[in-house]
Amino acid sequence: MQPISELGGSALKARTFGSMGTVISLTVPAGAAVADHELDAAVAAVERVFARLDESFSLYRPDSEASRLARGELSLREASAGMRDRYADAVGWRLMTEGAFSPERPDGVLDLSGLIKGYAIAKAGETLQSQGITDWCLNAGGDVLVMGSPVPGSGASWAAGVVDPQDRTALLSAFELGGPADLKTGTRRALATSGSAERGDHIWTAGAGGAEFTQVSVAAADIVTADVLATAIVAGGTAMLHRATDGWEIDVLAVRRDGELLATPGFRA
Amino acid sequence: MRIRAAVSATLASAGILLVGWQSGSHVTEAAGSSIGTSAGTTGTTGSTGASAATGSGSGSSSGTSTSGAASGSGATGSTGSTETTTSAAGAGNGSGTFAGSVSQTRFGNVQVQITVSGGKITDVTALQLTDEDRRSVAISNRAAPLLRSEVLQAQSANVQTIGGATVTSDAYLSSLQAALDAANL
Repeated sequence: MQPISELGGSALKARTFGSMGTVISLTVPAGAAVADHELDAAVAAVERVFARLDESFSLYRPDSEASRLARGELSLREASAGMRDRYADAVGWRLMTEGAFSPERPDGVLDLSGLIKGYAIAKAGETLQSQGITDWCLNAGGDVLVMGSPVPGSGASWAAGVVDPQDRTALLSAFELGGPADLKTGTRRALATSGSAERGDHIWTAGAGGAEFTQVSVAAADIVTADVLATAIVAGGTAMLHRATDGWEIDVLAVRRDGELLATPGFRA
Repeated sequence: MRIRAAVSATLASAGILLVGWQSGSHVTEAAGSSIGTSAGTTGTTGSTGASAATGSGSGSSSGTSTSGAASGSGATGSTGSTETTTSAAGAGNGSGTFAGSVSQTRFGNVQVQITVSGGKITDVTALQLTDEDRRSVAISNRAAPLLRSEVLQAQSANVQTIGGATVTSDAYLSSLQAALDAANL
């Protein structure tokens, strides 16, 4: 691992806001590259991305388009283009994960919340790039997307810790995000974690025995792939884990209920 | 593009094998082992396959470039390398090395080569297990059991962000990420 300790405490600056029932943090290098007012403008733009999507897709808002769909007041055919597009994405993922990821709850209600946070992070990332910010780390409730480096121009990776599901005040592992592109595997810019222990409300497992994994972290080139596959592996267990590592360029760290770890070589020390 | 390259490489090797057969010579097992690992080794594949085939016909194809070999043998190759086997059976001597057709599986392309001696299969070699676009390292990237001491270790002091299962707004306040954010606000 690239030691980052020489960064010191003041080398980064962060802004946070609440959306989608969680807290979103934007972190950039503290140097002159991004002035405070630019950072504030960037955060405001990112916040708008999350707010707009939450307005349409939240099932916690009775007046949202998603809630009207869920109550049957609106059909998909009449829904907005954005809603239909995300539904199409989700159906595509259901096919690719052989059903482990699903846009529908067991009761048949359409629920795209398993997809929409990752999509929001990806869109927010595009917004940051369009504002000319080249080095940033965006964390939405534990799902992370990065660009550039915490030390501009150095090529150093962003180091993302992974919380220990058995002790949330400790780190289980870490993963280097971004940094120089690996010719064989591409650059992993995104890390998403799904858990069955905490707020696993959009994950339904097939077996009656409950989830095989308490926590699954997936590193991938893009956040939607990482997020969807982490969700799918929690839902689909070991079989889905192996399908995911066979079929996608990802690294996975999975924690079994008994605390045993399964990891791809990218998580190995 | 890489798929196309891999396919032309395969067709080229199949074509060269076939040329070897039509010229009445046997492609040796040594040639088989160096054949067709990927598009990147096409040049080697062509020259090895051709030089192993002792016929004069294949001698000329060894002199051509990669693309030349691919286009030259394209017609024969595209009819399927299964034909290689058929023609071999037609040859009737019951010995030699034959490449099967490329099958597509969910793990990628699979192509095997058999060595026949005296009418019996004496060896089966995988020419191609996966193509380059579809995880040739699939098996080695499987998640395996690891001890906690064997995964990358980190302290919250030397990471810039914390990943974990979604924390609610309330849980955020007591999370490690909140501590990091507070330090950088």
